[in-house]
Amino acid sequence: MAQQEFIIERYNPDTDESYEESFNVDVQPGQTVLDSLNAIKWDQDGTLSFRMSCRHAICGSCAMKVNGQSMLSCQTQVDAAAERGDPIRVGPQGNQNVIKDLVVDVNKFLNQFERAETWLEPYEDQEPPEREYRQKVEEFDHWSHASTCIHCGACYSDCTVAAVDENFLGPAALAKAYRFVMDSRDSKREERLQFLSEEQGGIWDCTRCYMCVQACPKDVLPMDAIMELRTLAIEAGHVNNHGVRHHKGFMSGVRKRGRLDEMMLPVQSVGIGRLLTGNLAAHKEMMDYTPGAIRLLKSRKLLTIAQRHGANADGREQIERIFEEVEAEKHHHDVDAEAFGAEFETAIGGH
Amino acid sequence: MLQHDVLIVGSGLAGMRAALEVSSDPTLDVAILSKVHPLRSHSGAAQGGIAASLGNSAEDSWDLHMFDTVKGGDYLVDQDAAEVLTREGPENIFELEHMGCAFSRDDEGRVAQRRFGGHTAPRACYAADRTGHAVLTVLFEQLLRRGVKVYSEWYALDLVVKDNVCQGLVAYDILSGQIEAISAKAVMFGTGGYGRAFRVTTNAFASTGDGVVMAYRAGIPLEDMEFVQFHPTGLQGSGILLSEAARGEGAHIVNSDGFRFMEDYAPGRMELAPRDIVARAEQSEIEAGRGVTALRDSVFMDLRPIGEERIRYALPSVLHLARDFAGIDPLDAPVPIQPTAHYSMGGIPCDINGQVRIKDLDGAPEITGFFAAGEASCVSVHGANRLGTNSLLEAVVMGRRAGRGILDVVHDLEPTSIDEGDMANAVGEVDHFLTADGSQKVGEIRAELRDTMMDKCGVFRDDAELKECLSEVKDYQERFKHISIDDHGSTFNTDLLDAIELGHMLEYSEVITTGAIARQESRGGHARRDFPDRDDENWHRHTLAYRPQEGEDGPRLEYCAVNMEPRFREPFPLQERTY
Ligand code: SF4
Ligand code: SF4
Ligand code: FES
Repeated sequence: MAQQEFIIERYNPDTDESYEESFNVDVQPGQTVLDSLNAIKWDQDGTLSFRMSCRHAICGSCAMKVNGQSMLSCQTQVDAAAERGDPIRVGPQGNQNVIKDLVVDVNKFLNQFERAETWLEPYEDQEPPEREYRQKVEEFDHWSHASTCIHCGACYSDCTVAAVDENFLGPAALAKAYRFVMDSRDSKREERLQFLSEEQGGIWDCTRCYMCVQACPKDVLPMDAIMELRTLAIEAGHVNNHGVRHHKGFMSGVRKRGRLDEMMLPVQSVGIGRLLTGNLAAHKEMMDYTPGAIRLLKSRKLLTIAQRHGANADGREQIERIFEEVEAEKHHHDVDAEAFGAEFETAIGGH
Repeated sequence: MLQHDVLIVGSGLAGMRAALEVSSDPTLDVAILSKVHPLRSHSGAAQGGIAASLGNSAEDSWDLHMFDTVKGGDYLVDQDAAEVLTREGPENIFELEHMGCAFSRDDEGRVAQRRFGGHTAPRACYAADRTGHAVLTVLFEQLLRRGVKVYSEWYALDLVVKDNVCQGLVAYDILSGQIEAISAKAVMFGTGGYGRAFRVTTNAFASTGDGVVMAYRAGIPLEDMEFVQFHPTGLQGSGILLSEAARGEGAHIVNSDGFRFMEDYAPGRMELAPRDIVARAEQSEIEAGRGVTALRDSVFMDLRPIGEERIRYALPSVLHLARDFAGIDPLDAPVPIQPTAHYSMGGIPCDINGQVRIKDLDGAPEITGFFAAGEASCVSVHGANRLGTNSLLEAVVMGRRAGRGILDVVHDLEPTSIDEGDMANAVGEVDHFLTADGSQKVGEIRAELRDTMMDKCGVFRDDAELKECLSEVKDYQERFKHISIDDHGSTFNTDLLDAIELGHMLEYSEVITTGAIARQESRGGHARRDFPDRDDENWHRHTLAYRPQEGEDGPRLEYCAVNMEPRFREPFPLQERTY
């Protein structure tokens, strides 16, 4: 039996104190991060609070940050999370207020579904069939993956836009909206596309940073759903300027704050500017465009750096410079994200 | 005091379906209260399907479904209830489909159906292998659409019943730590099962039988609690469920010799025999030394005969679960499985309209204004053993019926009220745990209880072991009086909830064990080594366990008849149950 150190970000609402606390846990092969949190709670400190229920990745209760990335703690093996015997850092989900320890106020996230009215609106002018509606296997297969969302919030927690924009509907609500847009039983396809295009925080505010796809424990692929919605919205004639304005405001916000998790944005925004001009060709092009940053992200390199150092005031100047450079590169399709990553690393501390 | 016309406790399929039904009357104020957000409810973990005789992939009828259900339940099924369940099945499925449920489709675009254990026709409608999730999601979406009020993360502490009239509930707001009385003319419990008392279980942490114990404490007897279903395909160790859909799709189960041992136990159905039979076969193989892995405590389920493409399409969750939680890729290797406590056949006694009734008393008097549905209830549609895919169906059909049952009576019910005296129990319980300063720990007692129940009140039982089990449970109850907890705060105090839940587990474990000791026969999920046969003459009846009064040393057991009066056909007579 090996010992593993966990460093837990805690918050005590009674004293309004935030602090980190370290625990050592005996781990067996196959043990998950959630098992370890339970071991801490049951054997060491009963005051530790977190949500959990099903313990097999279906109820969506237990998403939290493990080493800076949002994931289901019940689905994450200790072995996989512990690199070279380093402590495993566990913290609450991002982009939401912390209530106690690892428990966040999920209303902000869950309210987005209500805002986007993500439920089936049946046809009012016709009776439903006596038996089931017929739906082709191909139609079902096209959207069914988006119906597998367990509302865990991992995507929202890591979403770079949700971090700076309270109004953003967020990846999960948008993916669910997509699921209804695609479902022939729903009567509000047109209204949905219009709403999603025009609403502040709708489909045009996503920066394609890919964080949601990375974080999602299911097969929802929220970003892809948002991209498909954009195509559908354009085809339906919903091209508007609000998206463009909002996008610009958003980018300058990122510059000022210089937060690290938002640092992926410039890479993604290379094409977004063109896309937002409403140029359909550019849009289609973007759909095939896979920035190297995604590879970087997959290797978890940037995130590891991010969580270790955090951006400081000094770093911001360099961040500003990176922005400028990326903008200068804006019209080249082949922005070298690897090089960007290296520079980024220098900017935040030279490791 | 908060007030609603109708208060539904529990937000799984039964609770949400009932709430949806009640909300169709705009003059009624209905609310749902749940200790977890509705989307976290354990119904969402159901994987394989929801049964109904749609006849989409082979000829089928409700009679046949009813027969399978009655036989599957080893004839302890109330036949009026099984009839309702199976006759109303198809329209309930179509209704869910019209709400937008993501059912998988067949080549004709209809709801796809597949085979399941104990069912003679392919009648499991499914959404890949996440059917519960698909139904739960769609019901929650429709509740949002209706704007039904939800008390999310509120813990129900106490049910208030006076002179057989339900007054409402005392509940604890987990976020603020406030205790509130909520009165309602009608209360419905859809609070789920009680499998957490067993070491190896598929159940969520939340499945601690809270509703069942609240009813028991309010003086309502509990029905057939000794019947607990062990599912044959739990992942070794954790007991996490691998869907029966795997067997439905053609997985093999083999022992250490690589032999498909179901040949010896149910040659006609092989792996697709009902769950109790497969679970006992596995346990017998394990006890005979033909188990696999280093611990020899499991057997193998081999998915490879199904073929990679079909596994990926129809069983994605099984694939992921085996990979993520056992580190085994079912495409390459067989998966070690073992029996795991899965479903609670027993519960709060009620009729086919969800009305809670004291069935052993003459005229079966009702608890006015109190309803139950789903796993927390005992109608009894499952009798001594539930067939796979009948639980989601029960939750939906009986949830809808309970909703209608409430609509039928609620306008005539008097307003109720809860005063401070009625809140004393709940307030006292919370206060006790927050201030207790004993040396015993919740986590330790709970772990020991779960070992005891698994090892001595598990797949096979006998008198000696059950009696040991009962005396150990009583020891734990005694120790539980001397606990202390760490967290004394008022915000999201899950330490406190753990203690309250353990109190529930200790109480119902005693009921399970007491009922099991008394029932000297083997029927469905209750298998006695010392009484291996079914004994219809003495035991074709339901158990009802009353909470001990002052001076009584354990639950008082009464019995009531099994309903043999379906309305639309002849009853199915008792027969030997072979497959
Ligand atoms: S791709 Fe869009 S929705 Fe997804 S995390 Fe990035 S900004 Fe958010
Ligand atoms: S889209 Fe994925 S990550 Fe986001 S809430 Fe749904 S399941 Fe969780
Ligand atoms: S505990 Fe349910 S998803 Fe992790």
